[in-house]
Amino acid sequence: MDMLIAKDLTVSASLHGERVPVIRELNFSVAPGRVLGLVGESGAGKSMIGRTVAQLLPPGFAVTRGELMFDGQDLVRMPFETRRELLGRDIAFVPQEPLSGLNPVLTIGQQIDEHLARLDFGNRKVRRDRALEMLDAVHLTQGASLLGKYPHQLSGGMCQRVLIAMAFASRPKLLVADEPTTALDVTIQARIVQLIAELQRNEGTSVVFITHDLRLAAQICDEILVLYAGRPAEYGPARAVFSEPAHPYTRCLQLSNPAMSGARRGLYTLPERMPGLSAIKGIEGCLFAPRCPNVTEGCNAAPPPVIDVGAGHRAACIHPDRTAAIAAPVPAAIDASGLGTPLMTVDGLSKTFTTRHGLFQRSEFAAVKDVSFALHGNEFIGIVGESGSGKSTVARMLCGLERPSEGAVAIAGRDVSDDSAATRAYRRDYVQMVFQDPQSALNPRRRVASIVTQALEAAGTGTGAERLARAEALLSEIGLSPEMALRFPSQLSGGQRQRVNIARALCAEPRILIADEIVSGLDVSVQAQLLNLLLRLRRQRGFAMLFISHDLSVVRYLCDRVLVMYRGEVVESGPTAAVFDAPSHPYTKSLLAAVPPDDPSAAWAPRSRDAEPALALGAGL
Amino acid sequence: MIATILPLIGRRLVMSVLILLIVSLLLFLVLHVLPVDPAAMSLPPTATIADIEAMRREMGLDLPLPQQYLIWLSHVIHADFGNSIHFRRSVLSLVGETLPATIELAVLSMIIAAALGIVGGLVMFHVRGSRKEPIADLGSIMLLSIPEFLWALFFILIFGVALQALPFTGRLDPQFRLPQGTGFLLFDALAAGRLDIFWSAFKHMILPCFSLGIAFSPAIMRVLRSSLIDVYQEDYIHLARLRGLSERRILIRHALKNAILPTLSLMGVQFGILFGGTLLVEVIFSYPGLGNLMVDAVRNADLPIIQAVGLAYCVVVLIINTVVDSLYLVLNPKLRVR
Ligand code: SF4
Repeated sequence: MDMLIAKDLTVSASLHGERVPVIRELNFSVAPGRVLGLVGESGAGKSMIGRTVAQLLPPGFAVTRGELMFDGQDLVRMPFETRRELLGRDIAFVPQEPLSGLNPVLTIGQQIDEHLARLDFGNRKVRRDRALEMLDAVHLTQGASLLGKYPHQLSGGMCQRVLIAMAFASRPKLLVADEPTTALDVTIQARIVQLIAELQRNEGTSVVFITHDLRLAAQICDEILVLYAGRPAEYGPARAVFSEPAHPYTRCLQLSNPAMSGARRGLYTLPERMPGLSAIKGIEGCLFAPRCPNVTEGCNAAPPPVIDVGAGHRAACIHPDRTAAIAAPVPAAIDASGLGTPLMTVDGLSKTFTTRHGLFQRSEFAAVKDVSFALHGNEFIGIVGESGSGKSTVARMLCGLERPSEGAVAIAGRDVSDDSAATRAYRRDYVQMVFQDPQSALNPRRRVASIVTQALEAAGTGTGAERLARAEALLSEIGLSPEMALRFPSQLSGGQRQRVNIARALCAEPRILIADEIVSGLDVSVQAQLLNLLLRLRRQRGFAMLFISHDLSVVRYLCDRVLVMYRGEVVESGPTAAVFDAPSHPYTKSLLAAVPPDDPSAAWAPRSRDAEPALALGAGL
Repeated sequence: MIATILPLIGRRLVMSVLILLIVSLLLFLVLHVLPVDPAAMSLPPTATIADIEAMRREMGLDLPLPQQYLIWLSHVIHADFGNSIHFRRSVLSLVGETLPATIELAVLSMIIAAALGIVGGLVMFHVRGSRKEPIADLGSIMLLSIPEFLWALFFILIFGVALQALPFTGRLDPQFRLPQGTGFLLFDALAAGRLDIFWSAFKHMILPCFSLGIAFSPAIMRVLRSSLIDVYQEDYIHLARLRGLSERRILIRHALKNAILPTLSLMGVQFGILFGGTLLVEVIFSYPGLGNLMVDAVRNADLPIIQAVGLAYCVVVLIINTVVDSLYLVLNPKLRVR
């Protein structure tokens, strides 16, 4: 019998007194020992399913139709205490944010022990032995010393291992993993996914794996359910959904994700974004119709029926046969010409941080060691590396936000190492920075127009009307409607905010843009829009960019050259294609191996910890 | 643990010495601009001008101000606060007799404030979002707006005068004599095995302590409630539910342990204020503590006592703050340096 079965599952939220279905008529089943992938962008309702399993829905949300059966029992209608007995025992969860998933004021040992005590694992001594066994099973050595540590003393990867160990402690029948690796570095991500897969195989656990990454899902899941705005778009065997997507949304999602192998292809750009709760009410027919390239009149008449397109493969689309015809655009050529004299040269850049412990001891930490490179006009250079590799510190030094400990930076032939007002003004003329988190980078009390033209305002250039006109011109250049000029940042979506952020940097007409993780945390379709926007802007106005990212596929798509940073040093650099196709440094190799391959049937072999002991240490595990 | 607290205490000591120096300077200066002449006051009214002049010289009052300050300071450092002009006794022994009484009063009041605050905070958290929330909210605001002396008057009228249930003057019933010892009455009574004295002293403390405790509890309630609300947004609470832990366990072991941290730092600040607040309550209840000593001294322009009591208040508050900060460090592992 199947472990988890959803039949016409519908979850509704009350919105201004009305009931709006957030999840509608979902059907799926997970057999014992199988892995179901729930794939979709943020807002698709995939996390809501995890909450529905536990019946811990946000206030105002409720299951209004259908049923959700676990091991023959009705999860929705069973009494609270019965369900609580199941949670943590038969149904276990692995969360998205490992660090905040553990209580900061309790030690790891106390938290594991509490869980084991609730599972009736015998006395304290027995529980301690069991805890050590569990930590061993998730490949955390030195378990004994870990038990006395607090969560903040551990890396994210270690915390996630602890949480996985706790989840598997009761040999659960069902595991719900909600984006368990999104917050982690690539190499750690691969190991965590493999750890879950290993334990799942050993214990025969059924798994619901929630992710936004179709490629990752194809790699580790048996079945995939693609969700769009709370509706099932496509359901079927993982390979079939990935290789022969029948729903246009699945296909578009795949085409908007940059490839890691083969020839560089263009990115498909889906227009607009997924309808939100209030927009769903107004759509009669297919919810994807406003963005669908294959839309016809029939699509808007009624919700599309779910039809069979293959063995166990279903899609909610009336034209599944046309899906394969959707193609990615021809890629904009990477413009490697015109590399004349360098625009910015960085020579021996280093940064050492000093931290104080107590009154007298102090320790030094070299965040950046001897980094040299040259950035030419119109060139996009990617800096890749994991957290703590020093890539963001490089960016901050080049923008003048941090003083280098050593080394020199020259822009257009002039040295900008000193901190005089003249140098700062000179640097500002050339370099602008785009920050990672648009939410905090944009002043919430200013309108978009004033944010975008901040540089002009500060310099006192132009009248208010002129600045508004300039803001509107910039907004339309970055693909936002000029009416947005009068909005506040809180009224924009994450992708729109990041565009505003870019527009603000471009307002000063910089020749160099420094972008620190500007697409991380954004949905794939929004990310594709932004990447294509950057390429178009370069064609139209011409600028060079230093693009800092942990995402290798994005750098492969966008950048002409790449620097790989590891523990503050550049370990490998060169033209992107050359470095990615034939990496020479072992660290680059392990980074590349950690990314799930494009072809789900290819073996995914992230290097194990034992093969690269020194490197793995630095990676935080 | 010790290793992390020691540097804090070290830093605090340095700070405290600086603060005490500044306070002592202020006390010294303020009292010197007062239009009273300590030399004239310490002599009988029949003294001649020449006598007063001689006394002034003897007391060092003819020296330049900075020098006077240094002399006074060196006396203070040697625990010599001089003699009270009014009581004709050593200031040190006067303060030594009254300080324990005030500390006893303040500590018990703080315990009551903390207990009421925590219970009230939990109740307010419990009724959040329900129809009872506005009532609880109103109640806490009302509590917040009634100062301690009003509570004191209410209590005296209700429990003291109307019901005659509890005493409201002094520290002990008149038939008892103060036991010898530390000056901490509750402690001394127990040490002497006199439960009757203990009970009498305890009854005398109920009304003043509740007046102070109730006045200081609503702020604790509100901070605890809002930090509990914040903590319940955290992932680890959600995850604890997903592990099937009971709501009670989640509250006590996971939520309260985190929410108590901001509450504790508030209580530290409050304790300092509360210690100053004892003055008014002592006067109302004729409680023979530091506050009444201070009031008497001011009435009699008894400069040495005013100076000593001022410094005593300051020292106690500094000690309280250091203790609370150390406690905070112990309870919050994130602040501990590895
Ligand atoms: S039903 Fe129509 S609009 Fe919807 S996905 Fe299919 S083709 Fe596109």
